[in-house]
Amino acid sequence: MSHDPGTSTGSRGSTNRSVSTTSRRRFLVSGAAAGATALAGCAGGGGSDTLTVGHVLPTSGTYALLGESIMNGFDLYLQQNDGQLGGYEVETVQRDTAGETDTGVTITNEFLVQEGVDALVGPVSSAVAIAMMQTVQQESSAIWLNANAGDYRVTQDGCMDLHFRTSFNDWQTSAPLAQWVYENVADNVVLSYADYAFGQNSKNFFQEAFEEAGGEVVGEVAAPLGTDDYSPFLGDIESSGADAAFSFFAGSDAVNYISQLSDFGLDDELTQTGSGFLLSEDTLPAQGEAALGKYSLLHYTATKETDRNQTFVSNYSEEHDRQPNVYACQGYDSAQALDIAASNADSTDASDLASALSGAELDSPRGEFSFDPDTNEPLQSMDVREVVQGDDGVENEVVATIDDIELPDWGCSL
Amino acid sequence: MFVEFSSVLRATMLGVQLGMTLALVAAGLTLIFGMLDVINFAHGSLYMMGAYLGVTVSAQFGSFWLALLIAPLAVGVIGAVIEVFGLRALYGRNPLYHILLTFGLAVMIQGLVVEIWGGQSLRIEAPASLAGTVQLGPVEYPVYWLFVLAISTLLIAAVWLMIDRSDLGILMRASAHDTEMVDALGIDVSKVFTGVFVFGAVLAGVAGVLLGASRSVNPGMGFGVIIETFVIVVIGGLGSFKGAVYAALAVGLVTAYGALIAPSVTDIFLFAMMAVVLMIRPNGLFGATEAA
Repeated sequence: MSHDPGTSTGSRGSTNRSVSTTSRRRFLVSGAAAGATALAGCAGGGGSDTLTVGHVLPTSGTYALLGESIMNGFDLYLQQNDGQLGGYEVETVQRDTAGETDTGVTITNEFLVQEGVDALVGPVSSAVAIAMMQTVQQESSAIWLNANAGDYRVTQDGCMDLHFRTSFNDWQTSAPLAQWVYENVADNVVLSYADYAFGQNSKNFFQEAFEEAGGEVVGEVAAPLGTDDYSPFLGDIESSGADAAFSFFAGSDAVNYISQLSDFGLDDELTQTGSGFLLSEDTLPAQGEAALGKYSLLHYTATKETDRNQTFVSNYSEEHDRQPNVYACQGYDSAQALDIAASNADSTDASDLASALSGAELDSPRGEFSFDPDTNEPLQSMDVREVVQGDDGVENEVVATIDDIELPDWGCSL
Repeated sequence: MFVEFSSVLRATMLGVQLGMTLALVAAGLTLIFGMLDVINFAHGSLYMMGAYLGVTVSAQFGSFWLALLIAPLAVGVIGAVIEVFGLRALYGRNPLYHILLTFGLAVMIQGLVVEIWGGQSLRIEAPASLAGTVQLGPVEYPVYWLFVLAISTLLIAAVWLMIDRSDLGILMRASAHDTEMVDALGIDVSKVFTGVFVFGAVLAGVAGVLLGASRSVNPGMGFGVIIETFVIVVIGGLGSFKGAVYAALAVGLVTAYGALIAPSVTDIFLFAMMAVVLMIRPNGLFGATEAA
């Protein structure tokens, strides 16, 4: 049981934001006078010389770490550019969504209507993103840099010219791995996943691509989100007789699944593969040796040996005393995308920013990528990583990079 | 639906183990209520502190056993501080005060945990001597998980005997039953209260360390476990240790079998179970008349 409750994890203490920030605390203090704060924000900004950015991110609850990493990445880019993006002074407003759908929508609405932000950055959760779509479309007053929420339905159902995924979509972190698994690991798999939208999407996308490649899915195991003990589920995985497994689990679920699979000795019998969140910077320290020899797919890997990435890693580590994770890279690229949009558009108008960013190319730490002009999805390479023993515990090593991936458009044509 | 025997066996082992470890947490919750009439929402946080302190001690000294010894004792100290400086002033007042204080403490402890250890999941390294698996009929079972099952069962049995048979147990039950009379007989009741609170905290701390090496340690675990243990304590009867043990076993097995048969509705089933018990026996299965 113990479903990582949405209960508050307490506010994140002192926020060392380097830029002018309307902090959560200030909002709380201002309370009913939120309108006044908004006015002050606008007046202080001096109209079109500032670019106001609203962070729709969680700083408490299950996704607090993700939200903070995105802001850290965003701030790093901003700091490297003297607090300016595209020649505009940047003013940041931030409020805690706590990963809750209703709160996320309320904050979005407030940012758009009262704060008059020019850009939205976030959210972490896809449920929040899907709920935000209507408001963003209705107001059409800000460009939306989606710094994490990967549900493909934002493109399928939304297909909005203002929405840019500076992150990934759930097809990208699952389907492209299928061909690689079929060619390098096994021609039959069992699928295990966290039973919620993202897990189900990942499973379906992988299955489709794996069967298309000629492989066979011999079993399927769905565990509720927030499962603590996976041993009752291991039976079905074992009895499927599969040579490999593809899984989607994230956060503490990923820690429990991987460690317990290894505790029960099942990883001797099959090769574990999965979407990158299964074996990522935030889970590997807890998974330890249980993670060794397992494969996963993601668009960013901190250990990737390119100059661009090494620079990013050392700059980030200097600021935060730890390696950047994929979320920090997404936050960094959100700032970078906004920089490009604002300098190309020479305007803070939402539709100007969006048309300036359409099709644009980004020199990201993950590698160069561009926005698909039809969907505003990132056209990016994906890394296949294997967990190996590093100097400082276990770490991911890129063993293959899948380029030129043809992304579905889900009926969206901008 | 066809379920293999090996899966049933694996689920049964997990169910009993879950039952016993949850009983360690629930024991403190129910004893504290039985004796002090306090509903301690911070009890899950004590379990969480056991796990986090276990992570730190085992990482620092490289010894799981030291963690199993030190972390629960440290949690006991935290429990003592909460009882002496927090709850003591509120005994006899409206239970709402207890709920406000302990719930506030739980939120504070969670915030503190995020500040100190961060939001990502951690894990205690299980001792090398308990690594590997053993063959139990058709299933391979991790030695460590068997150890958790054994040690928590032993602890629960020991606590049961102590409450039932020892002088200390009699004193505890007497203090709960008639505080004034025990006080009049020259026994310092407030010390008994502190003792019970600390004892409950230590048991929760032990459970935290034990499960911290088989599950992830994360800031949400305190609130996660408190929901499960409340279900257990309500089913077993608020204040009843025996009730908590039986109910914990039932909840553990339902959780494990539920995962096997219909994972998505297991939680609903647990709450339905609680609702039915409350309708038939509002004081829980072993409630009130048979306190402690």
